[in-house]
Amino acid sequence: MATSTIERSKRKTKIQEALVGWGFVSIPMGLFFVLSIGIFFYAIYISTYNWGIMGPRGFLGIENYTKAIHDPIFLKAIRNSILYAALVVPLQTMAGLILALLVNSKIKGSRFFRSSFYFPSVASSAAITTLFIFLMAPEGLFNKILTFFGVDVPNLFNQGAWLSDSRTALFSVIGLNAWTTSGTMMLFYLANLQSIDGSYTEAAIMDGASRRQVFWYITMPLLKPAHFFVVTSGMIGALQLYDQAILAGGADGSPDYSLMTMVLYIYNACFRQFAFGYASAIGVILFIIIFSLTMFQKLIFGNDAWKAND
Amino acid sequence: MINMAKFRRYFFYGTLIAYSAFTIVPFLWSLSTSIKPQDEVYQSNLIPHNPTARAYATVFGKIQPNFPSLFANSLFIACVVVILHLIFASLAGYAFARLRFPGRDVLFYLVLGSMMIPDQLRLVPIYQLMVKMGLISDRPSNYLAIFLVKAISAADIFLMRQYFLTIPRELEDAAKIDGAGPVQTFVRIMLPNAMPVMATVAILTFQGTWNDLFWPSIILQSPNHWTLPFGILQFKGQFSTDWPPIMALVVLSTLPILATYIFGQRYIINMQLGSSVKG
Repeated sequence: MATSTIERSKRKTKIQEALVGWGFVSIPMGLFFVLSIGIFFYAIYISTYNWGIMGPRGFLGIENYTKAIHDPIFLKAIRNSILYAALVVPLQTMAGLILALLVNSKIKGSRFFRSSFYFPSVASSAAITTLFIFLMAPEGLFNKILTFFGVDVPNLFNQGAWLSDSRTALFSVIGLNAWTTSGTMMLFYLANLQSIDGSYTEAAIMDGASRRQVFWYITMPLLKPAHFFVVTSGMIGALQLYDQAILAGGADGSPDYSLMTMVLYIYNACFRQFAFGYASAIGVILFIIIFSLTMFQKLIFGNDAWKAND
Repeated sequence: MINMAKFRRYFFYGTLIAYSAFTIVPFLWSLSTSIKPQDEVYQSNLIPHNPTARAYATVFGKIQPNFPSLFANSLFIACVVVILHLIFASLAGYAFARLRFPGRDVLFYLVLGSMMIPDQLRLVPIYQLMVKMGLISDRPSNYLAIFLVKAISAADIFLMRQYFLTIPRELEDAAKIDGAGPVQTFVRIMLPNAMPVMATVAILTFQGTWNDLFWPSIILQSPNHWTLPFGILQFKGQFSTDWPPIMALVVLSTLPILATYIFGQRYIINMQLGSSVKG
């Protein structure tokens, strides 16, 4: 009699807990299912239609996809996005690691240095890109500094027009973003560095390892979770380049499509050509690229780096 | 030997100081340009010879929409999104961390997996959905579209869950023995103990929403609804060579971020990164 009452009340608590659990997640998960999961499948659906301002005008199957891979401007956008990611990711990773190592040592003013290194990554990309466009203008501060160091700017191959010459525009944006994002990457490395147990390095030094050996054989492998996180999130962010491109090059990614990125191309297909089916197909292609690169990196770094997130 | 160590020390500090100059000078330059008269804009003096407040008068009055309007919109949107994230992420985060209910783990892995869906894939279907719902218009209901798009953040749910996992179970058990149900336990015990992570979520969400250019440039229709980054994008085209007013907007839009940064730094550095890298 007594046990069954206890069991009944235990079951009652269990059911109550489940109901509260569902209650707590119901609204967030409801929104999530519509605006994230549902929208994902809706995107694939739209991408198979000829979809204009007035809605769907006929089923196309994979025609939007074949159209995309034959479009020279889209191919240019892919090339730009990949070149951008291939340069920005190593630059921001290296800069982030070096900055983290610098400010991790016990030095005077490390808080100040940490804050000033991190600040560019919290300022808005609109503000910072606009500022950068001003600094990189032909008469701007950057060229003044080059002139000070003896560079003959007016006779440079691009006459110092860093953002309005199609040969240097993308590389200038790469420089800008390696600078702004390195602060974030520094923080990720810093968090990881501070979690490393000092006894490993001490033991290695006791055994006569040099500073260099300690760094390459002890510290670097222990930074694996940060390497994975920095490279993966850096790659995903880089492939989504939009703000800096539209600010510096306008919707066309000027000059000469040198700043046309995959996302800017989606924007154009949507709001200038009103080809929503086509734009959606490009979104799906972007997702496939990001998804396969993430899986590929997971494979390289192994499963334990992934698990470090749990 | 001593000289070598000294040299290393100088080199070390030299690098640190040089790099921090590299990050600070551009911002000082925008401040300086915003108070320069037009003819000094391209001169390389940091301190203006004839400082003027013309640019600030322009952005506060002459431009349409003016700075106060852009600022109010940015602040309104950022605050609502912060509140939505705090409510939804704490509810879902707590349920995923501590409550047992069927389907919990499947749901949680779906949330984690969804972080790989780029916003740009969502652009077309979200836009179509919002058009169907009549939210793409000049009316104030246009704000609702932004709130819906940004209401749920998988990253914040994850962050909250990880934090709730670290709160000792004894606290909860004590409340249960006192007869508190799950809702009471959540409100009276868990939420007060989760203040540091709530602060982290609030600051990161505020900064992310305040700085966002992508969704406002797609969703907001009326200039009366523009946010600061969107305003900067628009005015940069209009004012092509008149830099001081644009630099004034750059300075003014960075100040709130600087404020959240100064007051909230410790929450970001210790929390967000700790939980995403260390676990």
